[in-house]
Amino acid sequence: MQAALAAMAAHSILFSAPAASHSLLFPISNPNTISLQSSFHGVSLKPSIARQSLILSATAPKPLTVVAAVKKAVAVLKGTSSVEGVVTLTQEENGPTTVNVKISGLAPGPHGFHLHEFGDTTNGCISTGPHFNPNGHTHGAPEDEIRHAGDLGNIIANADGVAEATIVDSQIPLTGPNAVVGRAFVVHELADDLGKGGHELSLSTGNAGGRLACGVVGLTPI
Amino acid sequence: MGFLRTVAVSSTTTAVTAAALAINSLSPSSSSSYNHNFTKPFLNSSSSIGNRFELTKTLIKPPSALHMDTKPAPKHDAELPEVMTEFMVDMSCEGCAKSVKNKLQTVDGVKTIDVDLPNQVVRIFGSAPVKTMAESLQQTGKKARLIGQGSPGDMLISAAVAEFKGPDVFGVVRLTHVSMELARIEANFSGLSPLKKHGWCINEFGDLTRGVASTGKTFNKALGDLGTLEVDEKGEAFYSGVKNNLKISDLIGRAIAVYGTEDRSADSGVAAAVIARSAGVGENYKKLCTCDGTTIWEATNADYVTSKV
Repeated sequence: MQAALAAMAAHSILFSAPAASHSLLFPISNPNTISLQSSFHGVSLKPSIARQSLILSATAPKPLTVVAAVKKAVAVLKGTSSVEGVVTLTQEENGPTTVNVKISGLAPGPHGFHLHEFGDTTNGCISTGPHFNPNGHTHGAPEDEIRHAGDLGNIIANADGVAEATIVDSQIPLTGPNAVVGRAFVVHELADDLGKGGHELSLSTGNAGGRLACGVVGLTPI
Repeated sequence: MGFLRTVAVSSTTTAVTAAALAINSLSPSSSSSYNHNFTKPFLNSSSSIGNRFELTKTLIKPPSALHMDTKPAPKHDAELPEVMTEFMVDMSCEGCAKSVKNKLQTVDGVKTIDVDLPNQVVRIFGSAPVKTMAESLQQTGKKARLIGQGSPGDMLISAAVAEFKGPDVFGVVRLTHVSMELARIEANFSGLSPLKKHGWCINEFGDLTRGVASTGKTFNKALGDLGTLEVDEKGEAFYSGVKNNLKISDLIGRAIAVYGTEDRSADSGVAAAVIARSAGVGENYKKLCTCDGTTIWEATNADYVTSKV
C-alpha cells in the first residue's frame, strides 16, 4: 500500500486549500473555478470529508481521482460447477480494504484465493493476466512483505463446502492506479502453498490448481 | 523518483496530505514499476515484456525479427475508428507468418500488419471489426486469440470487456479507447429473443448480486445509452460502433445491461455483466496458465474445474 501510494504520489498534484469548494483539480484547470466532479461516480462525498479531499490526477488526459470517503465494491463469483459466491469490499478513506468472502459449493479444505490483473476471462485464466502485481514481486502469503498485491492466501471451506472469511489487506485499494475495481477474483481448486511449497510454480502462483470460479469487481452503491 | 512532477500546495494542515507526502519519500523502486504502466512495449521491447510476464520469459526467445508491412489504406466505409488489435496466433515458421499476413492484407480496413513471430503475436492497426479479423485468421487454419487492444501511445486503461456468461444470454462486449472522448464498441450476443429489439446501456454500478436490478440507473443519463440491439432469427446480435464522450477509465466496474424491451423499462432487465479491465497492446503475452498448465490454445471462457465436493 505504501509503495503503491508512493507511486501514485510521484505523479500527482496534491492540492489542499481552506476554501469551501474542493474537488478534482486538473493540472490545466484554474484553481479558482473548481467544480465538484469525480471520475469515480459511484462514490458520494461525505460533507465532512469533502472539506479535506485529497485529489490525485496522474496526467491531464486520464485523470485518476481519489476522494476520501467510504468506498465499496462487490464481485459475484460464478463457475461452471456449483461453486458460487459473493465478495464484498469496503475501504474507509485510505485505510486498509476489508474483504468479506462467502463462497459455497467448494470441496472442504483450503482453496487459493487471488486477485488477477485483468477482469477479462475471454481466454480463461490466460486473459486475466498474472496475479495483480503492481510492484513486481514474487508470490507469497498475505502477511509476507514480498508478495503480489493480489495474493490473498487461502480461504477454508467447512464440511458443508462453504468458505466464509474476512480479509483485511492494505495492498488492494478501491481507487487510484492500483484500484481493484475491474479486476477479477479467482478461487482455486487446491490450496495455495504461499510461495513456500518448493514446486516450480510456488513462486509464481502458489501451485493452486485450476479455477473453480471467478468474478469481476464492480462498483456498488454506498 | 519522480518528484519533479509533484506539486504540493497545502495551506491547511491536512492529515491526508501530510501522510501522502510522507509516503512519497519511501520506496524509490515503486515509482519505476509505476512508470512501467506508461511505457507500453509497443514495438517489441523484449526486456520489458520479459519483466512483466515472468513465466513467458522462459518460454519464448527474445523477439528478433520484426516485420512491418504497410499497404495503402483500402477503400472502406470507415465506420469504426482505427485502433491496434493484438492476436496471439499459433504460427511457428516464417512461411505461416507470411500466409497470416497475406490473408489479413485482404481484409477491408486493415492498415498495417506487424508480425512478431518469436512471440507469436500479430498486431493489426486499422478500422476492421474484431469479428472480421478473427474470421479471417480462422480461415488460415491457425488458432488465434485476441490478447490486447488499444490506441498507440495510450496510457493506463485502454481496453475493457464485459462478458455475459449465461445461463441464457451469452456475449462479449469490447470497449476500446480511441481518443480522450471516443470509445469503440463491439459486441456479439447469443441467446436473446429472436427477431426482437433489445435496449441496452451502461448502468452505473457493476453490482450483480440481484442481476440487472442491482446495477442502478443508466450511467450519466443519455451517455450510457447504447441504443437497440437487433436480434436475428437465431437469437444472435452483433454490434459495432463508436460512442462520443465515453472514457473507458470512467466505465471500469460499471455494468452493461440488456433489456427485454426497447425502452429498457425498469423490470425488463434480461442480463448484465461487469465492465472489466482487459489488456491493452503489449500488456499480456501470457501463454500458459501456471496455476493449472492450461495453454492459451486450450483456454476458453468456460474452462473451469468442477469442484470435487
